[in-house]
Amino acid sequence: MTDHAQGHVRVEDVSIRFDGKSGPVTALAPTSVELKPGTFTALIGPSGCGKSTLMNAIGGFVAPSSGRITLDGQPIEGPSDKVGVIFQQYGLFPWFTALGNVRFGLKRLGLSRREEIERAREALDEVGLGAHAGKFPQQLSGGMKQRVAIARTFAFGPKVLLMDEPFGALDAQTRLVMHELLLKVWQKHRATVLFVTHDVDEALLLADDLRVMSQAPGRLLRHYQLEQARPRSFSRSGSDLLDIRDEVIGLLHPRSMLAEPA
Amino acid sequence: MAVTDLRPPPGGLRARLPGAAGLRRAAGRALLAGPVISFAFVLGLWAAVGAAGIVPETIFPAPWSVWAATAEMWSMGTLQKDLSVSLSRAAVGFAIGASLGVSLGLLTGRVPVIRMLLNPFLTVLRPIPAIALVPVAIVWFGIGEGSKYFVISYTVFLTVWFNTHHGMEYVPETYLRASRSLGASKLREFLTVIVPAAAPYIFAGLRLGVALAFLSLVAAELSGASSGIGYRLQEARQYIRTDRMFSLLIILGLLGAAVDLAVHRIGKRLVHWEQS
Repeated sequence: MTDHAQGHVRVEDVSIRFDGKSGPVTALAPTSVELKPGTFTALIGPSGCGKSTLMNAIGGFVAPSSGRITLDGQPIEGPSDKVGVIFQQYGLFPWFTALGNVRFGLKRLGLSRREEIERAREALDEVGLGAHAGKFPQQLSGGMKQRVAIARTFAFGPKVLLMDEPFGALDAQTRLVMHELLLKVWQKHRATVLFVTHDVDEALLLADDLRVMSQAPGRLLRHYQLEQARPRSFSRSGSDLLDIRDEVIGLLHPRSMLAEPA
Repeated sequence: MAVTDLRPPPGGLRARLPGAAGLRRAAGRALLAGPVISFAFVLGLWAAVGAAGIVPETIFPAPWSVWAATAEMWSMGTLQKDLSVSLSRAAVGFAIGASLGVSLGLLTGRVPVIRMLLNPFLTVLRPIPAIALVPVAIVWFGIGEGSKYFVISYTVFLTVWFNTHHGMEYVPETYLRASRSLGASKLREFLTVIVPAAAPYIFAGLRLGVALAFLSLVAAELSGASSGIGYRLQEARQYIRTDRMFSLLIILGLLGAAVDLAVHRIGKRLVHWEQS
């Protein structure tokens, strides 16, 4: 569905400042990062470190104060349908059914009514919600809502998918199911994923690239490349994962974050 | 289906508990019992005072006198006429005021220039009561229907505008971001995201507007009417027909409550996703 050569995100020396009550506040220190087409990057860091800010900048919701962000060579100048977003609070429209929410994202394709409904149904089937197409979001559980959101975003084929702690509000069991589902859908569509989380295990189980961010003002501290085959688990995927896990947890510890050289 | 959600459906466990349905029915009966008991109590007290004969009928008529006055006005045909005249005034005034209020609220809520030009002015208008406008209404529109529509639509307009405006201002950012990242055009975003998101506020405004249409009706009919509930109240004063006054006041109260309930029901259906 998505061209493999596309979805290439470059963040070049981007910093972001907001006007606070007592002068400007730096939310993101100058940061450079590259998201290669079709890869899954997890971004982890303490709360308030600016990881969501970086994500919002790539989504076009916040303009960088300096530096630039490009998608396939084109600067990002605002939200667009090339970049899909999955929110922690789902962002579903409660006045539309699950099917209506998915159709909303398909509108711009200018399909016939029947085609549009058909494609929306396929997308819901893909996340196992075909039987709930006519339900409204408030009739669905948290996990089901997020599945509708995933279906809605993948249905129109964005090149990049931003996920801001998408499973943060879900219980542990549902989370595991969602990981499986997300990997399945992602492997089919192959969008470039940036996944913000503060759960180390989640990041290690899902990502190709793991990037660790410092406390505010955020900057990237470490980059781990994870090549273990999926589906991963800490018992099956060798001790490397556990070593990285210990290191990352150490890095995220408040004291070591202060000691880390700039 | 490879993926199953392990969580119970919302309310699922509770719904399976024995007696839950019975409890709900009991709660429903209690809800209905409240008003019935209240009305029976007041009516009983009123009848007792009337039967005791301690207050003159011209000051405080007994329930049966008020009932007789109602039947009298009905048989003369004035009650039907007054009702239809007053209700159509309230309806026309409400329609004008509500449509202007919603339209302008949509504009001031989303267009900064219009908000800057109009909001301070409209905010100053809000505390002016409907009855204070009657002299102006008579000078501008005479004593015909125009002045009644003006007074009613003015009050309805301000309240509906105010609520709509606030609903538009507080559209959650997540909805806008979701809509933009899904590639929605400005028009689609406005019609299918912003307006529905503000709909609960708009309906709250419309509900208040309906109540205000009834409240300002009597004030409006002070501008030289020759029929209508408000006019009939004035006329009853000249003949010291307290029984008729009571009858008209009760009818006004019951009508207002019925219309309010109807609007509330319709709103709940249209804005079904709001839990409250």
